[in-house]
Amino acid sequence: MEIITVKDILKTYESYRKEPGLLGTVKALFNKKVFHTHAVKGISFEIKKGEMVGFLGPNGAGKTTTLKMLSGILYPTGGEARVAGFDPQKRQNDFKKRFGIVMGQKDQLTNVLPLMDNLVLFREFYDIPEDVFKKNLDELVDALGLRDLLDVPIRKMSLGQRMKCELVAALIHNPDILFLDEPTIGLDVVAQKNIRNFIKKYNREKKTTIILTSHYMEDIEELCERVIIINFGKIIFDGKLKDLISRYAKDKIIRVTATKEIPMESMKAYGKIEESDGVKIAIRVPRTDVKSTAAKLISSDLPIDDILIEEMPIDDIIREIFQSAN
Amino acid sequence: MRKFLRQSWIIIKLAWQKNLNYRFTVFMYRIGEIIEVLVLIVMWTAIYSGGGGMIKGFTLSEMVTYVLIGNLFSVAVRNFLPDHVSREIEHGRLSAFLVKPVSYIRFTFTNELGRIFLATILSVLSQVIVILFFLDRVIFNTDMSYILVIVSMVFFAFIIELLLGFLIGSIAFWTDEVAGLQASIDRVKRFFSGGYFPLSLLPVSLSSASGYLPFGYSFFVPASLYLKKIDLAQGLRGLMIQAIWIVLLSLILGFVWKRGLRKFEATGS
Repeated sequence: MEIITVKDILKTYESYRKEPGLLGTVKALFNKKVFHTHAVKGISFEIKKGEMVGFLGPNGAGKTTTLKMLSGILYPTGGEARVAGFDPQKRQNDFKKRFGIVMGQKDQLTNVLPLMDNLVLFREFYDIPEDVFKKNLDELVDALGLRDLLDVPIRKMSLGQRMKCELVAALIHNPDILFLDEPTIGLDVVAQKNIRNFIKKYNREKKTTIILTSHYMEDIEELCERVIIINFGKIIFDGKLKDLISRYAKDKIIRVTATKEIPMESMKAYGKIEESDGVKIAIRVPRTDVKSTAAKLISSDLPIDDILIEEMPIDDIIREIFQSAN
Repeated sequence: MRKFLRQSWIIIKLAWQKNLNYRFTVFMYRIGEIIEVLVLIVMWTAIYSGGGGMIKGFTLSEMVTYVLIGNLFSVAVRNFLPDHVSREIEHGRLSAFLVKPVSYIRFTFTNELGRIFLATILSVLSQVIVILFFLDRVIFNTDMSYILVIVSMVFFAFIIELLLGFLIGSIAFWTDEVAGLQASIDRVKRFFSGGYFPLSLLPVSLSSASGYLPFGYSFFVPASLYLKKIDLAQGLRGLMIQAIWIVLLSLILGFVWKRGLRKFEATGS
């Protein structure tokens, strides 16, 4: 069953151009040069209940704008969206109770207050019955290891801890849908991993539909089976991560381990050298030529000890998709 | 209704807690307020000593009382909404509220009640302490009917200030540079409230025009009532004008807020 349907949604921002300097400011007062930024240019997709979907794209691709339209923060310039049976534009309270949102670059909690006080306020906002509140609180706080931090003002916490608090706040009312906008931005590797593990587990246990934007490939790779790639306001791929690889990765990587140093010159004949320290060399070869190249390498008189054939790293594939779209 | 009150009480309690984080700042602000009052008293004392026991019907005692009592009222009605609201718009914190099942306007008003609580109590206390130092020069009015009208007037002025503050803060929807504008509006408000000198010192046309503006009711009018410079009937008329302003400003706020939100949604911050 579809919980989110988006049809030809688009968003155009209005901005002003201003020449530099004081004179420019004065000029802009009288004659504003308006220009339009087409942040999202008509995208459509559907998301099923319980799915975990990753929105992937470079900065300014339109990921956050899309998320903001789905949560009702922004009005779409055109198109239609249905989220949990509601029109997000109308911003009904019944709609708002159905989703939670974490914006990685904007804290929603009052940082001079401890987490617990913030949550008490949220309990009032969302009208959560006391017993449900207690149960959710215990589950979330234990899962994220925040038990000892409940009474510490948010501003005294590390960035990772704050993000965990944001997650608790976004989930305290048991939403059907969770929007995560860059939930791991600026976090260290361990903190990123913790957050990812939690999200994965939560989705599995609660069947909450989760939509996540990130420009960290690892987030998407580890969490989302399905990925929607956006660039310049358009969807360029929507499907399973592994289909993305077979569709877009025209090349494969052959990793050669040698018994002694191989001169670069002699390797160049086989394919494009991706990395090399003389003994361990990775070359990039068109998918169709992989077998024959591997065979040639083995039968050559180079001092080769081992050969491995790999898919291209997903990071590289996506980078190439973005670059070719440019 | 019970839910409403419970929610409001929780919002207010949390606002107190937030505010206590800045207790030193809250305390230090009071020093400036006291100095302002003292400067005004010194100034008027100097002017009166130059000759003439009366200026436009005010004796020195009346003028000192005007300054002291008027400032007591003006600190009681004040709030910090312009700064608060504009900052929430500029920094996009408003987004966080738009996704929550709560009315931002209601939340902010309730929150402000809690937030100004400490500052207002301290301001009123410090003004009372200043008054104690001038006991020999202050005129007392213990007429209950006057006090009743004055208290109602100050309460209405408090509500008007909240609405005005919210409106001024909403300017941030249209420009990033609210601070300067706010400061200017504050000066104009202070002038028309009678905070610099009694409005009756103004040319008649200006002073009678100011009667239709909401500003005088937070300083000049209640202080004049206290001094019995104007009578109860005029006080009641003032309450009517205030009531009209409350309705008007509420409507304007509703309209402006709706327009502002549309703008906010169009630009997205």
